Amino acid sequence: MPAKPHRVLLDRVSGYADEAAAFMRRRRISRRPFARLYYPHGRSADHAEDSRSGAELFVAAGRLIEVAGRKKS
Amino acid sequence: MAKLTAATAQMATVMIQDARARDTVGIFTQMMDAAATAPDRESAEAALKFLGEMSVDLRGAAILGPDGDVLAATSETPERWREDAAALFAAADGAEGEPAEQVHIATEQGEVFAIRNAGLAAVAVTDRFALASLLLFDMRSMLRELAGPVEGAE
Repeated sequence: MPAKPHRVLLDRVSGYADEAAAFMRRRRISRRPFARLYYPHGRSADHAEDSRSGAELFVAAGRLIEVAGRKKS
Repeated sequence: MAKLTAATAQMATVMIQDARARDTVGIFTQMMDAAATAPDRESAEAALKFLGEMSVDLRGAAILGPDGDVLAATSETPERWREDAAALFAAADGAEGEPAEQVHIATEQGEVFAIRNAGLAAVAVTDRFALASLLLFDMRSMLRELAGPVEGAE
């Protein structure tokens, strides 16, 4: 006996939601710190944390995070 | 033959997208030079408040005028924002010897976004995994509106 049409739809939607949740979990675990600069004409450049320019960017970013403080909930 | 045609069609699409992106950025660069006037602090504070309402991940932000002075900031330390934003832009510009238009730095503690547009600059700090393109779009729109109406626009 075939499943009711709304069951099929619900299963499909929850399947997509599971996939998205899994993707977000993987992204949270695997994403590493990065420093990315965007220039005119659409060019962008990544700077590694252990490079001189990257280290300067991360230090400056750290200071800004400090001054911003925690979010007021 | 069919494969060749498909490949050629794809190339043309990519080239068109590339040209569109290049020309669009060119327009914004020209606008930047045209509208470098400092807005008043009330407008900047209102714009920053609106940005905070739109971006749930936002922890703090500041808007800087053409001379680097803080027009508005979310915390009571404008001098710190000015110094740290200046340091960030200096590091960004020095990285490749070319002024960077946008900066996005993601760390374990949070994410930092900085953008220069229309002679103004904005810096924002968010929680991790904030939607970068959306926030940068909002920041750019905010600066463009603060800089004043663009010629030809309603």
